[in-house]
Amino acid sequence: MKLNQTSVLRLLVVSLAFLMLSSCYSVRLRSINGAPMPDPLSEREDYYRDMQVIELDTVISINATTKDFTLLIKETSKCPSGMLHTVEYRNTFGSVLLSAITLGRKRKVKIKYVCVKPSN
Amino acid sequence: MAKTTPFPKDRWDTLHNNGPFDLKILYVTELEGEGNIPVKTERYNDAAQEIRRLIKETSDANQGFRAYGSRWSMSKIAHNKDRMHYNGFMNLHIPLTAADRHIDSPYDASNLFFFQCGNIIKEVSQTLGAHGKSLKTSGASNGQTIAGCISTGVHGSALGVGAVQDYVVGINLITGPNPEDNIYIERHSRPALNNEFAAKIEAKVIRNDGLFNAAVVSLGSFGFIHGVVIEAEDRFLLNRYVKKIDRSLALELSDTMDFTNSTFKIEGETDADGKPLTPYHYKVFINPYTDESEYVIEAMYKKPYALPYEDPFPTIKTSIYKDLIYLLIKISEKFPKSIPWFIKKLRKTILPAVNEELTGTLAEIFWDAPYQGPAFACSFGVDHKDSSKALDVLTKLARDEGPFPGIYAMRFVKQSEATMAFTKFPITCMIEIDGVLWKKSRKLISLTEFSRRMIEVLQEAKIPFTIHWGKNSDWAFPNLVNDMFGDAATTWKQYRSALLSKEMAQLFSNDFLDTIKLSEVEEELPEDLLVSIEP
Repeated sequence: MKLNQTSVLRLLVVSLAFLMLSSCYSVRLRSINGAPMPDPLSEREDYYRDMQVIELDTVISINATTKDFTLLIKETSKCPSGMLHTVEYRNTFGSVLLSAITLGRKRKVKIKYVCVKPSN
Repeated sequence: MAKTTPFPKDRWDTLHNNGPFDLKILYVTELEGEGNIPVKTERYNDAAQEIRRLIKETSDANQGFRAYGSRWSMSKIAHNKDRMHYNGFMNLHIPLTAADRHIDSPYDASNLFFFQCGNIIKEVSQTLGAHGKSLKTSGASNGQTIAGCISTGVHGSALGVGAVQDYVVGINLITGPNPEDNIYIERHSRPALNNEFAAKIEAKVIRNDGLFNAAVVSLGSFGFIHGVVIEAEDRFLLNRYVKKIDRSLALELSDTMDFTNSTFKIEGETDADGKPLTPYHYKVFINPYTDESEYVIEAMYKKPYALPYEDPFPTIKTSIYKDLIYLLIKISEKFPKSIPWFIKKLRKTILPAVNEELTGTLAEIFWDAPYQGPAFACSFGVDHKDSSKALDVLTKLARDEGPFPGIYAMRFVKQSEATMAFTKFPITCMIEIDGVLWKKSRKLISLTEFSRRMIEVLQEAKIPFTIHWGKNSDWAFPNLVNDMFGDAATTWKQYRSALLSKEMAQLFSNDFLDTIKLSEVEEELPEDLLVSIEP
């Protein structure tokens, strides 16, 4: 059976959509202890409502000598405790594609994290 | 010096999106660093000074002022149209010693803890846990501030304990802009801390049962709640069971609270004679749109703390999927008749899994509740003897005039001594309707209209009731608070009028208080309202 051009195109679009959806996921780590750092000015309407969220969306370079990447959590006004309460790592189709095209040398990093509210 | 940042804002909302409401200024106060003021009472007093400054600033501008913490209330109780104060960063814990205990105190010194207003329940529990202690009860989750809990009457379903305010034994209020407007109140019949401690926090002491009972559930309007003293207890475990039992048995237990002579028996939860134990916690879940012969119930039994026990978190962390709930709202607005079908299909995500069993501490079981989108909650308190009758009236309303996108539950709470506690019956059954917010449509009446009808049908059925201060209702319903509380409402207003100057009574009022007619200042007051009575 021969597939015409439209059918091939449709198949490609469906496959691409499937790939995009299946490669897009989040992993969230949340400490059972500690209160999340609040943000009274936040108007978010997602999982992080009322939390002081720090978002990192960047591309890192990995070479033969550096096989990993460490993000340092420092004490800042958004993270006065310098300790983590919640971390969310998100993988997307774009991340997979970038990694594939650059043969693993460039990696997209999309992270959200919330620090622990300081206790007094 | 504690630092406050004023943010010009024109709107404010609750956590569950029950607004938005107008606002002019949002104050956010942060404590001075520990390095600069190492002594905790001095940091606390420094913060009190800052609050008094903000009260003066607001008073000079002839505006209103209201503190809030986690904004979990769904009613407008936490809102002021002028200036609001976020106190979540004011989370000191001041350790108490035996030397701070009042000589006539009935409380064990090791069970007394002093927390600043902005500590959330989770922070309080962690501090207590580090001392081998626990709260006696909490709400269904742990994100409310301790001051917010007591102002609105947050409760769990602890049959023998009461609500959060019922283990508060001292309150520190800031009632105005002057140094003398710093007051520490406790019951004269059950004092907790001595005058020397009150001097450390630079507060004037008033020991007076009547004043304390009025101020402990203050609806946020007896001044700024700066700190509270709570009575904790030794850490304990709860064995939690979820069962499906005959509807008639679930309701009979609700009406009688007689577990000992019932057929509801859980293996291992019996006394030496094999009779069923009375649980620490009992909750009934009801889908109002089905005529099921069995109801899902949740029962918890209190046990001494002992290690090891199985990790409860894999079960506790399960929650509703937000996207599905959003879908439900949208469909409900257009096709309300689909709601019962949705609730039936979603029962596995909305209700706990039947035959689920776990063991954990109070803090573990009533753990974090992630934000799940716009929500509503209506909650009526009735005498537990009226619980099945009231449930019948309210579920009939949902079937006849709904359906509405929510499910029902019943929890049971011991009577509170607080003047305006909605848990005022010997054992109060809180009938709750929780669900997702919807917009009024041609086919579905609004939440306020639904709330009004609930009040009307309970009145028609002649069932005395109260309403949870922090939940949705038709708060403008005529004579509502007087019908619910009668003379207690007048007593509460008298204590408030005695404690606050007219100017401060206005400053600490809000639209919610005006609506329910509790902001009125009483002119004729008995003379002894503020008298400190020595035990």
